[in-house]
Amino acid sequence: MKNFDISKLAKMIDHTELKSSSGEKKIKNLCNEAKEYGFISVCVNPGNVEFAKKQLEGSDVIVCSVVGFPLGINTTEIKALEAKKAVEQGAEEIDMVINVGAMRDGKHDYIKEEIKQVVQASVPAHVKVILETCYLTDEEIVKACKLAVEAGAHFVKTSTGFGAFGSFEHHVKLMRETVGPDIGVKASGGVSNFKDAMRMVNAGATRLGTSAGIVIMEGAKLFKFAPDAWIEPEIPCHTCPARSASMAKLPKALYQYYTNMCLKCNHREKYNKFYE
Amino acid sequence: MNGWMNKIVKVNLSSGKQTTINISEDVRRKFIGGRGLGLKLFTDMCSANVDPLEKENALIFSTGPLTGIIQTAGRYQVTTRSPLTGTIVDSSSGGFFGANLKKAGFDGLVIIGKSVKPVYLEITEDGININNAEHIWGKDTHETMKILKSELTPNISVACIGPAGENLVPFASIMNDKDRASGRGGVGAVMGSKNLKAITAFGKKEIPVSDPEGLKKMISTINTLIDKNPVTGKSLQLLGTSSLVNVINAHGMYPTKNFQRGVFNDAEGTSGEKIAETILQGRSACFKCPIACGRKTKTSKREGEGPEYETLWAFGAQLGINDLETITEANYTCNELGLDTITSGSTIGCAMELYEKGAFPEKLKWGDSSIIVKLVEDIAYKRGIGKDLALGSKKLAEKYGRPEFAMQVKGLEIPAYDPRGAQGQALSYATSNRGGCHMQAYLISPEILGSPVFLDRNSIEGKAEIVALFQDISAAVDSLVLCRFLQFAISIDTFKDMLNIVTGMNYTEDELLKVGTRIYNLERKYNSEAGFTRKDDMLPARFLEEELSEGASRYRVVHLDEMLDRYYKLRGWDENGIPSEEIKKELGI
Repeated sequence: MKNFDISKLAKMIDHTELKSSSGEKKIKNLCNEAKEYGFISVCVNPGNVEFAKKQLEGSDVIVCSVVGFPLGINTTEIKALEAKKAVEQGAEEIDMVINVGAMRDGKHDYIKEEIKQVVQASVPAHVKVILETCYLTDEEIVKACKLAVEAGAHFVKTSTGFGAFGSFEHHVKLMRETVGPDIGVKASGGVSNFKDAMRMVNAGATRLGTSAGIVIMEGAKLFKFAPDAWIEPEIPCHTCPARSASMAKLPKALYQYYTNMCLKCNHREKYNKFYE
Repeated sequence: MNGWMNKIVKVNLSSGKQTTINISEDVRRKFIGGRGLGLKLFTDMCSANVDPLEKENALIFSTGPLTGIIQTAGRYQVTTRSPLTGTIVDSSSGGFFGANLKKAGFDGLVIIGKSVKPVYLEITEDGININNAEHIWGKDTHETMKILKSELTPNISVACIGPAGENLVPFASIMNDKDRASGRGGVGAVMGSKNLKAITAFGKKEIPVSDPEGLKKMISTINTLIDKNPVTGKSLQLLGTSSLVNVINAHGMYPTKNFQRGVFNDAEGTSGEKIAETILQGRSACFKCPIACGRKTKTSKREGEGPEYETLWAFGAQLGINDLETITEANYTCNELGLDTITSGSTIGCAMELYEKGAFPEKLKWGDSSIIVKLVEDIAYKRGIGKDLALGSKKLAEKYGRPEFAMQVKGLEIPAYDPRGAQGQALSYATSNRGGCHMQAYLISPEILGSPVFLDRNSIEGKAEIVALFQDISAAVDSLVLCRFLQFAISIDTFKDMLNIVTGMNYTEDELLKVGTRIYNLERKYNSEAGFTRKDDMLPARFLEEELSEGASRYRVVHLDEMLDRYYKLRGWDENGIPSEEIKKELGI
């Protein structure tokens, strides 16, 4: 991580504004900031694609749109149509949310077919498949990654940012190990400073989805001073999804899954933080 | 020279003589302005033996190259030898005084000597007049400002002392623009010792800027960075500094009853949220500042500004008081009488613990809000029990035979973060050149607020490096002279860009950081010549030996020695904390 080239960071960031309350002024600012900081894209809701595209004319910043966002529960036809429309309006990347419930039900063929249809509808844009990792077990994440690759997706992506929790190294690592070196991995949700960003990159992320791009870039300028000190190893529980698991936010089965993960963890004896 | 008015005047109050001090380009480059320039001028002029309250001690007001130009840059720095600690002290204040001083044509003022009668300095574009101040001597700071504005012009900025400064209370502040304070270290007492009641400044001169177009863009960039940062863009705007009350309390490090506990059960009632619900009237901003963290407030008796986080604590949890009205009144009174709220409250807390443990004769009980405002007044006028309290906690606790109850470093009271809850902040307190101060390296930022990133607050790993880095960056920012809150949102690289756009001087970020390193080492050199060593880089034993018993920082103590060894080594200082010849040579000090 110490050897990471900070100058490459901007070109890994999807500068994101997906809040329902964001109007044109916010999107305009988002685009201006992306141009100024040299981010690879702006990530906006479909209704803002056309407007964002106009703002970015003459720059090399591309528009990324979300599809089936944030719940992923729309029908396949609607997702494909939404993707097609977004591409027509200028989106060069599509971040689609899978049907998480179907994935948990083991409807793998449905998931694969849906991804395939969105990929086809999005040509020539690249498609990132949002797994919403907070609602899946490790086994389900691995399976979903494989389905995405088989369906022709270009990226797998952790989170919408609207789920129970965002991206964790644990999940990013798992996704990278599963998809291999040729498919992109996007970490999103909870990436709020340069240490988070570097943690994700170190785990295998090649793209970062965040609304804190500027904060990350400004903070990253401090990294060269005292690099060792900034990345001192942390208590592992602080960066573990099990620590973020809460009964209120997760289905019971998943809460139990993470509880068990914590109980079996080698770090538990030393740190024992989760159920303290 | 761009960014400067190229004029620093030395005023000898004994003779009334004014002389211009020329600053070489080399000194300007190495020390910039503000804290750095003030330090250089001071150490060239005053030995480590100078008595803080004698006429030989210099009192320096300095601005920086960005003063009067960029957001938050209405500030000024005061540099002198502290009557409270005996260290060199730099004390910074916001508002507009710095901008007015500079636009009147002055980068700084050096004041030496002692006037026979009370005087004030009237600074205009035409020069400096030394005027009789007998009619305002004895007046509080608000009254003083009001009278001078009515006599001169309402547009002036006034920096003045109150009765506390006149009475040489060693933690008297200099107040400006009503409620902005150069609070810490007793700079107001030094001003009082010179019979200098006030300085007024007003001007409209244009400050030359190297790249005016670049400046426009930079101002917009700064606004964006401030807006995007959660601390400057949200917390400070919505709740002011008092947004920290609930945060720090939740971390179990909100010092309660003279740091005996880390959790204050009544914190909610004295929080920023509570202020917003009850006494808040509006926000106030310093020069061109979009943050506007100042709180306009109102009690049942009057209107004023504040209290800020540290003051809420000093007259609240530190004394076991949960009465927002009393805390706010104590704050108003400190502002009017010209007292540092942190040292005032903390010293009363020390006295309360002395009383609790049977070592103090006067009945001072935790939570007794009825006595607080009166105690503050007694301190300022050194009357009754106030005479003892006006010693500050270190000398008070020593006088009553229990020095361990003074929560201070080098004689300066530690503010509102229990160091047991944040190891880096603990090291920062211990190694601060002006004593128990949170401003020279605000490790709360990464350890609690996660800015720029979260660091494990309980770990000592890497903390020496980050403390040294923050100390150097802060010293550099103080030399520009900008508000420290910008440091939440803006990196040293952007500070460097600001400096270059205004001055055209082509600093690199490494060079700017080195300016900070140079300042920190020169301060250290001065202190070591004044007799300060490792024994003074020490926290009260409570933090090293007594575990907090409850809350999110329970069972924790500070592991200072390990961090200190690492820190000295990193700094190039010997085992006594004294800069080596090599490092002095390298930095040219």
